[in-house]
Amino acid sequence: METVANPTYMKRKRNGRISIKAGSKSERVIRLTMMLLFVLTVTAFLLFDYTGLELWTAIVETGQNLKVMFFEPALNHFTWAEAFYQVGVTLGLAVLSTIIGAVIAFFLALMAATNLSKEWVTKVVRVIVAFIRAVPTVLWVLIFAIAAGLGSEAAVLGMLFHSIAYLVKAFSEAFEEVDKGILEALRATGSSWWHVVIHGIMPSTFTYILSWTFLRFEINFAVAVAMGAAAGAGGIGFELFMASGFYFDLSEVGFITYAILIIAIILEVFSTQLKNRYFPSSVRN
Amino acid sequence: MALLQIARLSKSYDNETKVLKDISFSVKAGEFVSIIGPSGAGKSTLLRCVNQMVPISSGEVIFDNAPVTQLKKRALRQLRTNIGMVFQHYNLVPRLTVIENVLHGRLGYKTTLQGIMSRFTEKEKEQAFYLLRKLGIEEHAYKRCDQLSGGQQQRVGIARALIQGPKLVLCDEPIASLDPNSSKIIMDHLKSITSELGITCLVNLHQVEVAQQYSDRIIGLNQGEVVFDGTNYQLTEEKTNRIYGTEMRELITV
Ligand SMILES: Nc1ncnc2c1ncn2[C@@H]1O[C@H](COP(=O)(O)OP(=O)(O)OP(=O)(O)O)[C@@H](O)[C@H]1O
Ligand SMILES: [Mg+2]
Repeated sequence: METVANPTYMKRKRNGRISIKAGSKSERVIRLTMMLLFVLTVTAFLLFDYTGLELWTAIVETGQNLKVMFFEPALNHFTWAEAFYQVGVTLGLAVLSTIIGAVIAFFLALMAATNLSKEWVTKVVRVIVAFIRAVPTVLWVLIFAIAAGLGSEAAVLGMLFHSIAYLVKAFSEAFEEVDKGILEALRATGSSWWHVVIHGIMPSTFTYILSWTFLRFEINFAVAVAMGAAAGAGGIGFELFMASGFYFDLSEVGFITYAILIIAIILEVFSTQLKNRYFPSSVRN
Repeated sequence: MALLQIARLSKSYDNETKVLKDISFSVKAGEFVSIIGPSGAGKSTLLRCVNQMVPISSGEVIFDNAPVTQLKKRALRQLRTNIGMVFQHYNLVPRLTVIENVLHGRLGYKTTLQGIMSRFTEKEKEQAFYLLRKLGIEEHAYKRCDQLSGGQQQRVGIARALIQGPKLVLCDEPIASLDPNSSKIIMDHLKSITSELGITCLVNLHQVEVAQQYSDRIIGLNQGEVVFDGTNYQLTEEKTNRIYGTEMRELITV
């Protein structure tokens, strides 16, 4: 075996050992950033105000709180029926914003896909959508709250807004994946633009659209819980907020947490089954 | 009277290099014409200029007495219903059934709403089954297209082109992805389209022998120029070498 490789291609570290990293600029930038973040984190901990903190007591009491929450869940301020109703309200918020969002996103995604629209149209839609996506959902809810007042309307509008932006990106990327030969073949028969969409794009991407929409529904359920508390949109999130922030009722917090957990698990099981039954292997995960 | 007339056609994708240079020829109704030439000669581009799948740079294409280049949206759709197209990779919608894919050939005759609602008449559906029977794949009518072999998929592609009721069928390397056996079946079907139905065929081919066996006429293309245009008797060894360049020819026969 030849061991003396061409030295001009070989990079050595300062201590003379052969380097196996490319040593590019981006690598150095990343390393510098990591170091900076580490230093900032450590300094931040040193700068906290620790007066009055008794670490041991704090740990013990947190442990006790968790025990009450998760081993003694109970309903004190509302009934089972009410609990179901509130979960329903939260699910309703999620369903409404997801379904309406998916329908609007479908049309916008057609405009955002480079293989279906003019270049300037796709650019305009993409820039707007990227901007909307960059702003967190909560912020959109608060922005809409200015006009609609805090409540479920603002929550649905805000979640809708962000869902649209998210789904437009997902859908339009799926549309662009469609084999351009298929579109060419349809156009060559004299099909109009809508024919190509309905008979070429739709059947090829339907399962992707479904799975993305369902994924967004899972996200929207979690967001709807948070919005119940943050924007007074009602539902189980609001009860959680009341139980923890007003009544300091840890058993009830535990109960609600379990309720949300169960719904999340049901959704997960449901979506897995849906995928296994209807989706091609490439979309399953 | 010529069905298709191409006069001084030039095409460039980037306004710099000309992919097609000053091409002129005409095709009579009922002719079976093959276009041969090395890879990158511009064969696919030439076919797509005929039905305006790509806009041409200069020159004229006249199909059935209509100047193709000047047609706008509606008229262009109308024109395309008269020109069927068959592709190397079949270009079917894989998730749809055979019969659905065949019926796509009728979309050019539908209004937007009719097309969206998939309103195909009973007559059109019967015609689709008739074509599938003629092509020998009627039993697969309700199968998804991705479950078919390449040769069967190409026959679906031909059925989709034929149900348009075309005057001309453009075939872009229809047998390039098929084994010799399926290739023969496909070429026989294409040949019978012209001989039985009187539909003109313009076929891009890679195999000179196949072109000679099936065509009434062969057009040789090299670097965007027509270097041969004549019957298969006139295509001598020497002329084939001119189309492909000598070394290329050696490569193929080895
Ligand atoms: N959409 C396009 N944009 C830019 N250039 C293109 C495009 N399509 C083809 N070309 C160029 O045009 C030239 C001719 O391509 P074309 O596909 O017509 O050749 P071909 O004869 O069909 O080759 P092959 O036998 O390999 O299919 C090539 O140099 C190719 O790079
Ligand atoms: Mg080609």
